[in-house]
Amino acid sequence: MTAPYFELGYFGTRGALVAALVIGIAFGWCLESAGMGSARKLAAQFYLTDLTVFKVMFSAIVTTMLGLFWLGRLGVLDLSRVYVPETFLLPQLVGGLVFGIGFALGGLCPGTSCVAAVTGRLDGVALVLGMWSGVLATGLAFPSLRAFYERTPRGTLTLPQVFHVPYGVVVLLLVIVALAGFRGAEWIEARATSRSDEPPLPNASREATRPVAGGIGV
Amino acid sequence: MTDGRGRRLTRWLAGAALALGVLAPLAGSPYSSRHAVIDVASLARSVAREEDHVTALELAQWIKDRRPGLRVLDLRSPEEYTAYHVPRAEHLSLDSLATTTFRADETIVLYSEGGPHAAQAWVFLRALGYQRVFFLRGGLYEWLEQVMNPTLGDTTPAARAAFAHAAELSRYFGGVPRSDLRAMPADDAIPLPRAGSSGGSAVPLPSKRTVSRVLQIRRRGC
Repeated sequence: MTAPYFELGYFGTRGALVAALVIGIAFGWCLESAGMGSARKLAAQFYLTDLTVFKVMFSAIVTTMLGLFWLGRLGVLDLSRVYVPETFLLPQLVGGLVFGIGFALGGLCPGTSCVAAVTGRLDGVALVLGMWSGVLATGLAFPSLRAFYERTPRGTLTLPQVFHVPYGVVVLLLVIVALAGFRGAEWIEARATSRSDEPPLPNASREATRPVAGGIGV
Repeated sequence: MTDGRGRRLTRWLAGAALALGVLAPLAGSPYSSRHAVIDVASLARSVAREEDHVTALELAQWIKDRRPGLRVLDLRSPEEYTAYHVPRAEHLSLDSLATTTFRADETIVLYSEGGPHAAQAWVFLRALGYQRVFFLRGGLYEWLEQVMNPTLGDTTPAARAAFAHAAELSRYFGGVPRSDLRAMPADDAIPLPRAGSSGGSAVPLPSKRTVSRVLQIRRRGC
């Protein structure tokens, strides 16, 4: 049986919704396990004192990338049927800036705000309400936003297409960047800890492993 | 988890990622070559039950009803597509079929100028595993004749009822139904669809030459 199962019609919309619920719960659990339900921890990213977000996201990216590549290569997954969002340069650039400003102000991103809300953090609840209000407002205003939304279309782009290099080379380069990034992140965290007056965490190694494990889960 | 075990696990995971990354450039493309398998019996059943095609009037009704997930694909050349195409149709070359992906819940209708290319494309897509695929039986010719320029064949009540339905669809798409056979125009005076009455969508209307050519071929009995 080849994946993706929904695209190939192995199960219908109802089955897909059940799978989405299970995967969503697991996703949230992994985020919380990695400590990403805390706005303080996420905001520390911007002060370069705790790079957990970086580690979780890069662990998730590398795990997904290696998984998709090797499952596709082994014939378990039909990679051509995996949805890749289209690129619209200008609106996505603006969207990224809005996302980044919101992330820095609120200390949470959409996924982590849901985790924070479910675990009872009031800032998480506020951000989820704000997110839904934004979704609703954008939907209502979409007819007037449409022209901007569809500007600078570039079609479906992937890194191998843009740089004209084989898929496997991109995979290797990203793994190297991720591993170097981890090493750099630990060096930055160690420097921040030595500069501060606070004593180092009692179980520093375990704390370092959690983001990686959480990221793989994500 | 003790400190030592945690550190060892992290190193082991980093090593595994590096090993898989180093092997990736040597492994080739992760995309399958999309070698299709033809289930001849299944295709034959679909053809025998006439589940392989739609008529121009059925397609017109689907487009008018905005059938969810409907994708109409024009397989002719880009120039022919630009000159005229069925409303809401997308252009796609036959070569691109193997590399184009469709969602399982999409209903795909293929058409070409006549029927053969679209029927061949139907076989390709069914071989690739898509189930909800149809081709327009008589191609664009049928569309122009039955939707854009329907004619009342005879005066029986059944024929009149069918014509009334076709005429309604025709007007929706900006066509010109003709109920008076004696008043059938010469080729150089074929009435073209009225501009601005193509079902509310910005659809290029067929040129007089296109319509003329289609009707000439029809009259030869092709």
